[in-house]
Amino acid sequence: MRLTERQSDALSELINIAFARTGAALSELTGHRVVLNPPEVAVYRTEELRGALAKFVPGDVASIHQVFAGPVAGDALLLLNYEGAVHLTDLLTDESKSSNYLDESAREVLTEVGNILLNACLGMFGNLLHVHVTFSVPRLHLETLDELLASITTNKSEMHYALVIYTAFQIRDSSVKGFLVIVLSVASLDRLIQEVDAWEARQGG
Amino acid sequence: MESPGPVRMKDTSSKERLLNAAVLHWMHDLAAQGIVTTDSDLNVVEWNHWMEQHTGKRAGEVIGYNLLELFPELTQRRLDRHYKWALEGQVRVLSQGLHGYLIAMPAVSSELGYSQMQQAVRISPLAHEGRVIGTLTIIEDVTERVAREAELQAQIEERSRLLASEKLARNDAERANRLKDEFLATISHELRNPLNAILGWAHMMRLGTLTPANTERAVETIYRNAQSQAQLVADLLDVSRIISGKLSLDVRTVDLISIVNAAVDSIRPSVEAKSIRLQTMLDPAAGPISGDANRLQQVVWNLLTNAVKFTPTGGHVEVKLQRIESHVEIVVSDSGVGISKEFLPYVFDRFRQADASTTRIHGGLGLGLSIVRQLVDLHGGTVSVHSEGEGKGATFTITLPFVGVVSNQNDAEPAHPAQSDDINTLEGLPSLQGLKVLVVDDEADTRELISEVLKECGSEVITSRSAAEALEALERHKPNILISDLGMPDEDGYSLISKIRALPSERGGHIPAAALTAYARAEDRMRVLRSGFQYHLPKPVDSAELVTVVASLAGLAYKT
Repeated sequence: MRLTERQSDALSELINIAFARTGAALSELTGHRVVLNPPEVAVYRTEELRGALAKFVPGDVASIHQVFAGPVAGDALLLLNYEGAVHLTDLLTDESKSSNYLDESAREVLTEVGNILLNACLGMFGNLLHVHVTFSVPRLHLETLDELLASITTNKSEMHYALVIYTAFQIRDSSVKGFLVIVLSVASLDRLIQEVDAWEARQGG
Repeated sequence: MESPGPVRMKDTSSKERLLNAAVLHWMHDLAAQGIVTTDSDLNVVEWNHWMEQHTGKRAGEVIGYNLLELFPELTQRRLDRHYKWALEGQVRVLSQGLHGYLIAMPAVSSELGYSQMQQAVRISPLAHEGRVIGTLTIIEDVTERVAREAELQAQIEERSRLLASEKLARNDAERANRLKDEFLATISHELRNPLNAILGWAHMMRLGTLTPANTERAVETIYRNAQSQAQLVADLLDVSRIISGKLSLDVRTVDLISIVNAAVDSIRPSVEAKSIRLQTMLDPAAGPISGDANRLQQVVWNLLTNAVKFTPTGGHVEVKLQRIESHVEIVVSDSGVGISKEFLPYVFDRFRQADASTTRIHGGLGLGLSIVRQLVDLHGGTVSVHSEGEGKGATFTITLPFVGVVSNQNDAEPAHPAQSDDINTLEGLPSLQGLKVLVVDDEADTRELISEVLKECGSEVITSRSAAEALEALERHKPNILISDLGMPDEDGYSLISKIRALPSERGGHIPAAALTAYARAEDRMRVLRSGFQYHLPKPVDSAELVTVVASLAGLAYKT
């Protein structure tokens, strides 16, 4: 399944609304202007994810993972490479000296950031699809990309797709790259794309 | 894979009901976290024991009340939104790093440096059949963890700081070592150069084949080279004395004009050889000062030699001597090669030359300016350098403290009794006839010895055992001269002289004074002079020196 250019643009625009909300929330929390770059969206089959993400995250990955359930169900993750995760927490918590590891407090800050972003995106999808989704408590994992992908793709009998949204946090003259990965069943993705088409048609009209 | 969060409530068997009741009981009484549940209007339904303990609010005081009304701070800090979102079905994470805490509670122990308990918080919706019917808040005390992490972070930073400073120190040591190596190479080179000429000409003289004219030239060359080598060795010895703290000054009243003139005279041949225009501007009001004439001449000579060395043929060098308030300034400026901004801070460093390469144009050991600085330091003065950059000349400025030695006879020559009277009473020493000397020392032996010597030379002597006694004697006897010990119990000589110098002239404030001390280091001597004494007499006292000093003091009055 591939998105048409129009679908991709429409989805990017929708996600951008959620990103703007996230940026505003983080700016207010930290007292610094935080902007998330306009997203780039692509759809992969979960088996292709590894290849798509490998060049971005060669080492350890920090992921904030929330499971959502309801008429549309799946996994939502914010992915950062380890250095990016350290850098982002330093920027958000005003650490003047740069740390080189994530302590418990830093992990918690990351979890909150992921929570804000994932809630904004999933909330936006929920509104678009007129469905109510429920969320699990977000969890932060530090692992290799392979371990992470294995944890997403195991025990899934149904074929799944991953919506991969590329962005970067702009804060205090620095930029930290990140990936948002939303894993959906074929049915859920179909439904989402239909709604995106409908939304796009409403915007056009 | 964990299942989504909302706590499900459904009809249960009686066993399950019992278990659920036990879980609720555990959450209420035993949980090590704060647990708060509200209904969908945010009215408190559950407030566990932990919350009671840490907020001081009993469950009975809060249950049934609206959480946001109980804690208005939540709304003020815009945290009420998280409850709104939870009621919409979102799970919210509130990290300590970004919020500090949700509900203010005092820290369990103040030892960790936090007065408020630091909290990690989760706020979740409680749903029943897809409908949110309330919220669940879990509060964890993370104060200790946060403090421990901060401590760890500080340790890591300290360690990397130490590593960095260690690296810096190692670099410094390596650089110093390199400088010494370069210096050794330079020294060998500079000592060998004159030696080549000396050996070469001496060899030819031994062969006896030189014409009389060439012989004369040979002797001249050998002499000149030997002299230049002697100068190198003298510089080296000076540096070694400075390093070991053994360089001492022979401090007397010196006339800077004649010192500068002497230095200018000795440099004149090389000035003329390079057709350099040498200008001197010497202010007669500048001298005299207290200092070591030979060393001050060396200072001026070094600066002049330097200026001439680095000034190309046809350039000009200027020497200025002027009095500026309480200082005397000697300024040597040239139109020479100048000094780059990068090298400027290192000009006075030992073993440093801007061009340390073996092919450098200008010879020398790079010691001259370092000696200048050390000698000026010993005189209590400063030396500074200014240059607009390479090719733009350089200006060296020396300031020396003007210690207030002036004649008390309207700028006429001091009338030393020694010069006006030929009656010598102590082995040809000058007479001190008509002088009244106040001697202050806590040691009776020294007091007696000094008064004996002075009386022998015809002066009247008053003695005091302490600074207090001396001040009294000064008022009562109006002596002409003061000789005071420095180290005395209760009040020392420095304190005495500063009190005296604060007095008006008619009460003895300007009395000429010499200090007696066993401290012979140069910095002690400088302190003596700066504190208001004109002379420094080392112990044990030499009779002849004592009488000479008193005689010369007789011609002087202290002037501020």
